[in-house]
Amino acid sequence: MNKLQPYLIILIRILLGAIFIYASYDKILDPGKFARDIANYHIVPFGLENIIALIIPWLELLIGIGLIIGVMVDGAALISGGLLALFIVLIAQAILRGFDIECGCALKEGQLVGWDKILENLVFLGASFLVWQRQKKLLEIFPKTTLSD
Amino acid sequence: MSSISVLNYKKQISFYIVASLLVGLISNVIRTDAIPWISPPLKVVENADDALLILSDPQIREINLDMAKSFHEKGLLFVDARAEEYLAEGMIPGAIANDDVGMLSEQIEYLLSGVEKGFVIYCSDDDCGSSEELAYELQDFGFMNIFVFTGGWKSWTEAGLDTEVHE
Repeated sequence: MNKLQPYLIILIRILLGAIFIYASYDKILDPGKFARDIANYHIVPFGLENIIALIIPWLELLIGIGLIIGVMVDGAALISGGLLALFIVLIAQAILRGFDIECGCALKEGQLVGWDKILENLVFLGASFLVWQRQKKLLEIFPKTTLSD
Repeated sequence: MSSISVLNYKKQISFYIVASLLVGLISNVIRTDAIPWISPPLKVVENADDALLILSDPQIREINLDMAKSFHEKGLLFVDARAEEYLAEGMIPGAIANDDVGMLSEQIEYLLSGVEKGFVIYCSDDDCGSSEELAYELQDFGFMNIFVFTGGWKSWTEAGLDTEVHE
């Protein structure tokens, strides 16, 4: 199992990275819609949702690419975990406050917030943690590692 | 965990954040469909006569319960943006609903004989957001004068106003 572990981590990196890239795509194309999704959470003051909607999708895209091609994987995994933890808190407060709103966090457009989204994000959060805690850094181009590293 | 590796994480995180900040902000400067840096709140309609105005540029504006009542009396079309499962409890009389926004836009265009006339969209309450979302989607179909009734179904029913149940 120990021998397989680094390969498992690579697989997780690719899947997690792909999920972030996929999730960022629609938001980059239509930041206005993402901003309205953020506004629906009623937690961001002063109309700042637009600035957030312009930055977060690119952050998701960049860490997604980083995770897949192996660039600054530690930083990407930590940001991934931080974003997912934030999403979990945001969705939970929306559910608890009784908001019946579109998630805006979704892999599927139009999904409403719900405990299933929290579970989904918890799984991704666990995946981020595994990547961060990896023992061997295999196939990472920066900081550079080698296959025998 | 050595202090060097901790610094390393911090540098990596900073890089990702600064890079996405720059790309995000620059992309909004160069794209043709840029959004404002700060989100402007919807304009609130204060004159009931605005219901029947024909506008030269597309607008989405907000109306409160009193205005919604008066718009309803003037015979404006109401569109229910709630998910299908909520509609069984009833709708504002005369309101239409369709989960398929393309079909909904055709319905509205047919009922209003075009895209110029104003109509009202509502969802469950102040916080639902789907009425505003639908308003922007319908604006993309060319509709010129859309009113978002913020109090929605909750304030309408709490005020004891008429509702109707569709079979």
